[in-house]
Amino acid sequence: MPEARLCDDVLKVAFPAIRQNAPVCAKSSHFVVPKDLLPAITHYLHTQPNFRGRLTLLWACDHRPVRDTYGLYYLFTLEGSHHWVMLSTELIGNDRLFPSITPHIHAAHWYEREIRDMFGLIPQGHPDLRRLVRHEHWPKGMHPLRKDFPWDRVLGRQQGEHHFRHIEGEGVFIVPVGPIHAGIIESGHFRFSVAGEPIMQLELRHFWKHRGVEKLFEQQTLIDALPLAERVSGDTTVGHGLAYCQAVETLLHLEVPRRATYLRTLFLELERLSNHLGDIGAMCNDTAYALAHAHCGRMKERIMQLNDRLTGSRFLRGAIRVGGVTRDIDNGRLTEIVEELNRIQLDFSEVGAIIFANASLTDRLETTGILHERTAWDHAVMGVVGRASGMDCDLRRDRPFAAYDALPVNVALYRYGDVRARLRVRGDEIHESIRLIRELRGKIPDGPIANEPSRSPDPGDWTLSAVEGWRGEILYMVMAGEGGRIHRCKVRDPSFVNWPAIQWAVLGNIIPDFPLINKSFNLSYAGNDL
Amino acid sequence: MFRIIKKSLKIGVVTGQYQKGEPAAVPVVPEVKKKAGLFKRSFAIREVDTGSCNACEMEMNALMNPVYDAEQFGIHIAASPRHADALIVTGPVTVNMERALKDAHKQTPDPKLVIALGDCAIHCGMFKGCYAVTGPVERHIPVDVRIPGCPPRPADILEALSELRNGRP
Ligand code: SF4
Repeated sequence: MPEARLCDDVLKVAFPAIRQNAPVCAKSSHFVVPKDLLPAITHYLHTQPNFRGRLTLLWACDHRPVRDTYGLYYLFTLEGSHHWVMLSTELIGNDRLFPSITPHIHAAHWYEREIRDMFGLIPQGHPDLRRLVRHEHWPKGMHPLRKDFPWDRVLGRQQGEHHFRHIEGEGVFIVPVGPIHAGIIESGHFRFSVAGEPIMQLELRHFWKHRGVEKLFEQQTLIDALPLAERVSGDTTVGHGLAYCQAVETLLHLEVPRRATYLRTLFLELERLSNHLGDIGAMCNDTAYALAHAHCGRMKERIMQLNDRLTGSRFLRGAIRVGGVTRDIDNGRLTEIVEELNRIQLDFSEVGAIIFANASLTDRLETTGILHERTAWDHAVMGVVGRASGMDCDLRRDRPFAAYDALPVNVALYRYGDVRARLRVRGDEIHESIRLIRELRGKIPDGPIANEPSRSPDPGDWTLSAVEGWRGEILYMVMAGEGGRIHRCKVRDPSFVNWPAIQWAVLGNIIPDFPLINKSFNLSYAGNDL
Repeated sequence: MFRIIKKSLKIGVVTGQYQKGEPAAVPVVPEVKKKAGLFKRSFAIREVDTGSCNACEMEMNALMNPVYDAEQFGIHIAASPRHADALIVTGPVTVNMERALKDAHKQTPDPKLVIALGDCAIHCGMFKGCYAVTGPVERHIPVDVRIPGCPPRPADILEALSELRNGRP
């Protein structure tokens, strides 16, 4: 791509001290940057009008025992070309300090705190160095992703208390909620400061469900770790499974048969459908509109039962494998799926007409929980939430994977950023998914459904893979270790990026609207906490 | 209004349109059944997530949709452990959730039942042994009923609850 080469040249001219490396995956460039230059170059990438790089991923890696260094990697997506620019730097020997980029790129806030907790590396100049993943009762010096930390270590306990941000003044109340909530939802803590009705501040406290997923990956081989990837966030089984498989396939130089890529697309769209239907119902339910909830729950259940008939799992677990898919869905079956989805689409259109004609519902949804475009950009928000706030990004279109190169996607985009916009994005995407599956039915080629891996990866090889799950961009960085094992696997669910943004979306709203706003984001706690 | 009624008439009754579940995989011991008998026809459940992958929660949620409609059997979800007859726990118990689980258990009035839902809650599943996981639910609080599966289907959950409550799902 000439455009991309141009970007590379501009960067090299602006910063002669950087060195270009071979790219690790398609549509990307990789630069090795001296540590002190990081703030300047990231700032340049982020703010230059012809780059406008969005911080997409930031991770660290302990290279021991091969080299006595820690690597830090910064991935930016350029607006417009959707090209990836990766910057990396190394901390050698006993060096534990790196310059924080949070002061000028807000999206790095949680990433840097996470690196500090997991590796014990300190982001100098970070405005908020409280613990994130490690709750205060973890003893000092526990950094699980360091290579000298045994995976099955017993942690022990110390005294400690988390200090929340404080607003003081007459009539200011603090309302703590969670970690255990009233409905059937996951565990997380929210702390509101209110004066009268409106919320003045919300602070999140997450990572209650931290299960050590990334450390567990390192105990497994590349081929065997798929079930773990499928259990990072259960509602995104296919999204995570697919992202993981794609990374492993790149490492193994394994080609996926064309038919399998179509079937993977089918599974991913089915997952999107069931979750979006459920979400629309749940959002209506949080405005006490039980009728819409019942209809949507019924339609969602039909898709879950369809999944079960197709693959033997309501969550499509085990449907995908490294190298392809586990079972074929013959063309007769595909026609049945399309017929069932046509019926559901008609059904959904009728329900949609009822929902959107309801004035009291519209009244609750409009102007509630607005996430402004600027805030969304600062937090690098994407996925459904981003598309409701004017962030025009969808990996299915921007960096096609599976069969999306042959199945162009119309991306839903709204600018208001309120709950209604998020509802509309989901509604549009339901129709679009069904259209995609119909088109897929016409285009799917015959052929094998899986290839067997034949070679093992070279230790130290690594790659990135990205999938547009139903929530948004799912990223996996997988680095191979000795004997086909995993040296490091960085998992990034879209929730990790979108969670902090909710703290801004609720400001000025009343607490009874919080469940509604939270539901309209519908982020995963499990995928965030890992 | 007319449109809403028309839609409801067109759809009709969907409750029960699912494949019947397998009979409970882990039999319920008589003492537990006796304890469950106290609650008669109303059974309030509090769900506690101690580190699940959220698929188990989704199946609990599905239980409340019109197809399974667990409410018809008097099963409902209590908003607080203080209002609950039973705790349903999902997920391996993480180090960060251990205290919260014990607190919720303490807050639940006696007599109470604890139901471990899903493989993770029963034996930690694939998270077993990890530094961030302190062990299955029964290591921290006594467990009365186990519903295996990853995740168990809603129909299977209903079957298990039915066996527990002597034929009343
Ligand atoms: S049992 Fe399976 S579905 Fe349930 S929480 Fe564990 S991994 Fe998820």
